Amino acid sequence: MAKDLDYEPSAPKTIKKSTGTKIFEAIAYILLAVGSIVCVLPFIIIVSGSFTDNSTILIKGYSLLPRDFTLSAYQTIFRSPKDILQAYKMTLYYTVVGTGLGLMMITLTGYVISRKEFKYRNTVSFLIYFTSIFGGGMIPWYLMYANVLNLKGSTLAIWFPALMSPFLVILMRTFIVGAVPDAITESAKIDGAGHFTIFFRIVLPVLKPGLATVGLFLALGYWNDWYRSSMFSTNSSTWQLQFYLYDLLNATTAMKQMASNVSMKTADLPTESVKLAMAVVATGPVLLFYPFVQRFFVSGITVGAVKG
Amino acid sequence: MRNKWISGGKWISGISAFILILSLPIFNWIKVVNLVTLFSRIGVTKEMAGDLLTGYNLYNLLSFVQYSNQGVLGLPSMVLLILMASAIYFNVAYIIRTFMASRNRKGKGELSLLAAGKCAFLFEFIAALSTIVFVIFSNIRFGMTGFLPSAVVFIELIVSLAAYIYIKVLESRERKKYREHGLLVEIKRNWVLFVMLIPTFVYFMINNYLPMLGVYFAFTSFNFRDGLWSSPFTGFKNFEFLIKADLFRLTKNTVLYNVVFIGIGNILQIIFAILVSRVTVKWFKKTSQTLMFMPYFVSFVILKVIVYNVFEYQYGLINNIITGFGGDRIDFYNTPGYWPFLITFFYLWKNIGYGMVVYLATIMGIDNEIYEAARVDGANDLQQIWYITLPHIKPTFIILLLYALGSIMKGQFELFYQLIGNNGVLFNATDIFDTYVYRITMTQPLSIGLGTAAGLYQSLFGFLIIVLVNYVVKKRNPEYALF
Repeated sequence: MAKDLDYEPSAPKTIKKSTGTKIFEAIAYILLAVGSIVCVLPFIIIVSGSFTDNSTILIKGYSLLPRDFTLSAYQTIFRSPKDILQAYKMTLYYTVVGTGLGLMMITLTGYVISRKEFKYRNTVSFLIYFTSIFGGGMIPWYLMYANVLNLKGSTLAIWFPALMSPFLVILMRTFIVGAVPDAITESAKIDGAGHFTIFFRIVLPVLKPGLATVGLFLALGYWNDWYRSSMFSTNSSTWQLQFYLYDLLNATTAMKQMASNVSMKTADLPTESVKLAMAVVATGPVLLFYPFVQRFFVSGITVGAVKG
Repeated sequence: MRNKWISGGKWISGISAFILILSLPIFNWIKVVNLVTLFSRIGVTKEMAGDLLTGYNLYNLLSFVQYSNQGVLGLPSMVLLILMASAIYFNVAYIIRTFMASRNRKGKGELSLLAAGKCAFLFEFIAALSTIVFVIFSNIRFGMTGFLPSAVVFIELIVSLAAYIYIKVLESRERKKYREHGLLVEIKRNWVLFVMLIPTFVYFMINNYLPMLGVYFAFTSFNFRDGLWSSPFTGFKNFEFLIKADLFRLTKNTVLYNVVFIGIGNILQIIFAILVSRVTVKWFKKTSQTLMFMPYFVSFVILKVIVYNVFEYQYGLINNIITGFGGDRIDFYNTPGYWPFLITFFYLWKNIGYGMVVYLATIMGIDNEIYEAARVDGANDLQQIWYITLPHIKPTFIILLLYALGSIMKGQFELFYQLIGNNGVLFNATDIFDTYVYRITMTQPLSIGLGTAAGLYQSLFGFLIIVLVNYVVKKRNPEYALF
């Protein structure tokens, strides 16, 4: 399991800090503050831009703090929310279906390859790991879904390819090995329990942290994905949220260039601040949940870093 | 009794040698009959007919495909070639093992030797059988008897089958002795586990293993008109074109970016992890860690929004500030020179937090008493870091480094594509394999063969690097080996 990252390695309070330590700590605080600010700054720019009046952006450009505070960008989005709600709905659908099915498959696989009595556990592990070191490349992969299985335009092509990954399978195996001692499953087997009983009654109940971690990795992947829409969608009603945003950005950039060339009227285009508001809406849920689920990702990364 | 069976396992490797001889290119496995009718049926021109032969072994079968322009036979011929190559590999491995076995007789008797033999004969058998299937398939395809398998194929078929069965018998006796069991017994005993693996099997077949067949497109001038598997076979033309045009630039970009990412990334991650571990105010520690991990969670599309808003020519934040001080605007989106730095910066921005978590966990695992002892001895903070922290995180660093080296040919596709997109002005400095192949997939269906070739080169080169790194590491320090 993950180690507690809040554990304090510093000196007990009774020992007086030397000047060198004090200087060192001061530098540490400054550097960390700078690092944190650099990491957060872009978010602030986006959020403040989304609250800024569009004409102000056009005249004065983007800035760090909102000038001429207004909610008009958000009002514009939610005045005709059909498209963005559709993208939201589809993304939720992909995330729920993909995470649910993927989690089930990953957990079952993790269980199987953690069984000591399973003769081919190493073969199966290697066949799964092998996919991460060699592959046919993007084009054969694409043609498989688009032309062989004929899934272009289907929602299946969007959630199916991301159901599993070698990293998550190995991670799950590590969680299972850590959570369920062999002795317990052995004694269950002596009592006559089959693999399904052991899996559902013994392994799953103690596997909650592992399930949460792997599930969150899957969900984050689905939420942030855009490129399967770009490859397989034929109709904007199946777009993922991120691709919807991506398309919006590209379309407005292209049209702005056209407009400047042939003096078209640009009033109908989403304005700069609307685009930013859209970005906030698209990424909002992730950042909202982030503080509460961060520890699962931390434990996942920590466990996963140990070679599986 | 036991000695007899061991000699049995060795004796039979003589058959392997015999099989290998029959696999030599001097033996034609496939004979062309009804030469004139066949060539007129498939429409071969006079000049091309001169290049065609009357008999083929499995190594030059592809030249028939190329000169006769029968793309539909391309994939089967390639599969035959691959089967043949694997059969030869396993037979040679078996023979070598036979000689090694006498020196190294530990473990479960002859079981591993016999498994090697089984593998060798099985592949030989499949190769022979597939040749026959190939002949039947192509005859049906041309609507006439154009090909016939030569006697060599049938000899191979029978000999390898007999050898396989004999080894099976030997193996089942060995197994009884060592209480081992085979696949069938395992399925019978643990069928539930196999059932649990079915969805996973289907997934990896569709998503990873079946598409590997598609690397065949790299050797064709792919077009949708002829269908997926019937495009003309062109040999290494795509690769030749790639070498002349883009290969060097793409390799250079992909590898160099990754080297910079790995180098600077790890250094910064270690530095920040150490800093966080040294900070004593709890809320500051927590907050800075949370904030620096945050960029990892946003999508690359959002990153695109951010970069666009900061570096845009007209309204961008930077140009806004520059003009505020009375300077001239910088046209970032038309100047390739800036982008290697910008891409690196935003890679770091997004990934510092992730690596920091890994290193921090290692640092937290260091026994506090070591630091105390050092402090008592008068070591200052820098000395503590240098002599205690850094040596302790070395294993983590090496593991992360090896993983990273293994994927040095894999580009950060989403990062590059979202930042650069289809902005051709910047390609020279920013195009990597993944973006190159993606563009071909989406916009140039006529170059799909070329794109597959680029992808195959990337995959193979990356694979070789991983195997090489793993081999070296395993020799020097098996603990760090990747597999």
